Amino acid sequence: MWIYLLILSSLSLAATKSTDEKLVGVFYFNPIFGHVHQSSLKTSPSLTTIQCSYPVKVIESSKVSAGPEWAYVQVADYKGFILRQYLSEKRPDCFQGRYPKFFDSLNLDLAELYYWGRLYDQYTQGETRVR
Amino acid sequence: MTNILKVKLGFVSFMILMVASAYSQNQKLQEEKELELVNFKNIKQVLQEDGLSQSVITKKKKVKAMKVSQEGLDKSRFKYPEEKEFLGFMTEYWLVKNAQLLDWDHEKPEYGLEASFKAMLEKFGFYHKKFKIMLINTPSLVRVSLPGNEREVVLVLSVPFIRSLDLTKLEISLLLLEDFFRFELGYFEKSVTSEKLKKLGGTSFYGTKPDLTLIEETMKNYNNQIYEKGFTFQQQFEVTKKMDSYLKANPELWNSYFRLLGKIERFLKVNSQYKQYIKLYPSPDLQLKWLSPEEKIL
Repeated sequence: MWIYLLILSSLSLAATKSTDEKLVGVFYFNPIFGHVHQSSLKTSPSLTTIQCSYPVKVIESSKVSAGPEWAYVQVADYKGFILRQYLSEKRPDCFQGRYPKFFDSLNLDLAELYYWGRLYDQYTQGETRVR
Repeated sequence: MTNILKVKLGFVSFMILMVASAYSQNQKLQEEKELELVNFKNIKQVLQEDGLSQSVITKKKKVKAMKVSQEGLDKSRFKYPEEKEFLGFMTEYWLVKNAQLLDWDHEKPEYGLEASFKAMLEKFGFYHKKFKIMLINTPSLVRVSLPGNEREVVLVLSVPFIRSLDLTKLEISLLLLEDFFRFELGYFEKSVTSEKLKKLGGTSFYGTKPDLTLIEETMKNYNNQIYEKGFTFQQQFEVTKKMDSYLKANPELWNSYFRLLGKIERFLKVNSQYKQYIKLYPSPDLQLKWLSPEEKIL
């Protein structure tokens, strides 16, 4: 009886959690630096700055609508938004990974890290089709 | 009786001697066996017989190869980026370093440039090309095309300039196309690539400190090209002629481009704020002249 109740309660808990927040998968961040945004707007404030290859948990929630361009994500304790185009399933080949010692030698300060992340929010990007 | 006892005692002592001798002989044999085992030649023979010696050689080779590969990996961590990759990186570094000056971190007007410029490139057969457009909120720099990452161009364009001239989406795309051609002709890359970059690009600084003057020098070259040097008359002529040859097939676009140059020329004449533009991009009136059909002398 007790075991039955325990299973039932854990199932109901899982059901509540799944309707509320569901893990879609772990994706990797592509650009050199970027921001986890407070809302699904390029100009919205940054919750935290992440760098290329950082694993990002993409989540789904019935309470959050991210829109087609944005992914609702969890990075450490922060839950926010990242443009989908900057996420990939495979770990990317990052500049700072290819040239780690050269990159470290730049000694970027916090303001530069912030602006480097903002750069990818502010670009208008395009690619012509392959013939 | 005494004799019997003597014989018995002699026999027992003989037996003791025999046993002791046998025991000591066995002990020696064991040592000999151990010695044989310790003997390298014998080990070698045993190893060779078991094929273990070959396995040791293979293992040694493997370890050596692994060490070489590890050393290679360590050294590769100390590499300077290749020339092209370095410039793509420097473009972003330059934009980051000049973020406040260029004022690009602001909400952008929605001109729909991604679709219109993409359509224009495809119209003229430029496939599999990547571009990034950065609209800046300053009149101090009007426009420039910078090297991006692989197959990519970064097009920087001033919003106050667009607004002052009240440029249409098509006119902005034509300006971007001109900058795209300028980039394709490689003028900027040639101008900012130093001898030091050619020498150090792709090499390793393993065991030493990286030469950071390479970055300083390239940044200086970027600033010099963007704000001081600009493009020569010859380069401008080549770009204009390239625009002419591409747009000629489409008179509507050619006319738009011609009108755009006229618009810019008239605007620059009365706006001292943009006087630097003519120095960097000589010059809209000459471009108009180059585009105009030659007058026939009868």
